[in-house]
Amino acid sequence: MLEKAKVSFFLAGRSITRGNKGITIFTVFVLTLIFLQLVLFSSMLAGVTLKFNELMVDFQTGNVVVEPKEEERYIEGASALQKKIESLPQVVGTSARLKTSGNFRYKEKEMGATVYGIDPGDETFVTGLEDAVISGEFLSRPDRGEVILGREVSGGYGALMESRSLGGVEVGDTVELTISGKTREFRVKGIYSTLFFMADAGAYISRADMEEMLGVEDLDLAHEIAVKTTEGTDEYETRTALLSLGIRENIRTWHEFAGILRLIENTLGLVRNIMNAIGLLIAFVIIFVVIYVNIVNKKRQIGVQKAIGIEQNVIVLSFVLQAMLYAGTGVILGYCFMRFGLAPYTVAHPVQIPLGEMSLKFDDAEAINRAVLLFLASIVGSVIPAYKLAEKDLLDLIWGK
Amino acid sequence: MGNGMQTETEKEVGKEFEKEFEKIGTENIADRKKEAGAEIEMKTPPEKTGDVIIEGIDIVRTFRMGEVQVRALRGVSVKILHGEFIAIMGPSGSGKTTLLNQLGLLDTPNSGKVIINGIDTSLMSDKEKGKFRLHNLGYVFQDYALLPELNASENVYISLMMQGRSKAEYESAAAEILAAVGLGDRLAQLPSKMSGGQQQRVSIARALAHKPIILFADEPCANLDSQTSKEVLDLFKKFNKEYGQTIVMVTHEDWHAAYTDRVIRLKDGMLE
Repeated sequence: MLEKAKVSFFLAGRSITRGNKGITIFTVFVLTLIFLQLVLFSSMLAGVTLKFNELMVDFQTGNVVVEPKEEERYIEGASALQKKIESLPQVVGTSARLKTSGNFRYKEKEMGATVYGIDPGDETFVTGLEDAVISGEFLSRPDRGEVILGREVSGGYGALMESRSLGGVEVGDTVELTISGKTREFRVKGIYSTLFFMADAGAYISRADMEEMLGVEDLDLAHEIAVKTTEGTDEYETRTALLSLGIRENIRTWHEFAGILRLIENTLGLVRNIMNAIGLLIAFVIIFVVIYVNIVNKKRQIGVQKAIGIEQNVIVLSFVLQAMLYAGTGVILGYCFMRFGLAPYTVAHPVQIPLGEMSLKFDDAEAINRAVLLFLASIVGSVIPAYKLAEKDLLDLIWGK
Repeated sequence: MGNGMQTETEKEVGKEFEKEFEKIGTENIADRKKEAGAEIEMKTPPEKTGDVIIEGIDIVRTFRMGEVQVRALRGVSVKILHGEFIAIMGPSGSGKTTLLNQLGLLDTPNSGKVIINGIDTSLMSDKEKGKFRLHNLGYVFQDYALLPELNASENVYISLMMQGRSKAEYESAAAEILAAVGLGDRLAQLPSKMSGGQQQRVSIARALAHKPIILFADEPCANLDSQTSKEVLDLFKKFNKEYGQTIVMVTHEDWHAAYTDRVIRLKDGMLE
């Protein structure tokens, strides 16, 4: 058995080292591309998902959100609770928000949006909204009667749902805001764009303005407290830590707010699986064709090998080994290119996508999975033609029929 | 490089091979059985020159070419003795190569039998025939049929490798036989870098490396000029005379046949 495998290895090795170098290079190159195609799409998708998640955390929820207890509308004693939460070493900052839906009106246009009442100083520690302002300025503590609009509300600035927006509000314009039946005029102080449509469809006013509109002045209430933790802290650990502080409010990680993102991710995942299946089919066909052409050109040689007593399964195995070596080299080259080339490059030089800057997220486990699939495709793609031809009549092979 | 131009080293190596080769005729049945594998039994070993080593009984071989049935062999019976150098001759289409293929187990007759060394090969499966060829038969083809990606030495020892011999064994065996055919200095040469005559000598070395009981050669000089053909035939004669190698050769040249002990003549698929 071992002797036979040795002969197969020997024949495969000689065929690769002394055979047509052009065919070998071409085959390996094509298999490298197929492997890249298989992992690149996954890496892009993982990168996009990561970006979605980052946007969610950075511009909307923070890492953890504390919400009122069941059947209560507000968190009471919000300032005290904030201090308690901030006592945890992993907490960078908290922002107590009043959140409600409001109706904006500008000239003839009207639209509904989620409006947040925030303390601008606190908010800066939790979200990156201040840096996302693309026109005007972010709110400051003493501001009253001023609003920051997301681009999906203001319109313009590349808003995705322009027709739904207020149709091109600029900084300095005055908009009417109606909350709970109360209508007030606000001057637009700034317009922000996070490139994340969910965050960009909101507006921010000061807590004082919001308290007044909701009629809850000086009650120290909040609809939610967004908590930002240090980089790399596990959200579930933070939740446990918060619970151990005796906080009775509802504590949710950002994951629980990412419902629509999960939907998008799952949809993209389905597309990725289809692409993978097509990629593998292409790999199979290419390996099949390359091995088939290789074998057809070696018909007579196979005949001679059979004539001098080389067993059929030894001959088949020699071709399968060649295909596996091609696939293995393609996988290694593709892996090295992704791991040490393309992925780090996109980290250093992120790709600009409609969501913002994105880097490839290369996952080793996924790469191994694709490598195994490519290997299997190469085995099947080589066994079939090799077996079919090696099984032919000896004289037909020798005569090249 | 012709035989007359062998170096001293090649001659010495050639002598060693000669000693090895002389053992063939006197090998006992147990050794043969060991080499051939348990399932390929060698019932009657070639005890001495003159014993029947191969017998074709009433061989019929028909090919289908489109709608037409071609009867290449129409009941040919032949007996070849151990140590004989036989030529199979006849006009084109007479069935020479077809007969060689039947005797050499490269093809299976539609009816009739081929008995080699007392073994009825018609009872063997394709796999058994392959194993039998590996251990007992050698082939020289008209167009050398060397594996282009293997060098001279590798082409020679591939069948020994397949037999499961050790690296040292097959490498030295290849070096010895290549020296014996005058190619001791071309072990690492690829076929593409060799002349036709040199390639054919590698092919002969390959056919003889595992010390077969019969060597089959299908028009081995067809692609060679007269001088090179002579060198190849001299080699055959040397192995036949000096080492008692049984050789069955297809040829259409009378002067080639002059090297042989006996001529089997065919015409229209029958013995003349």
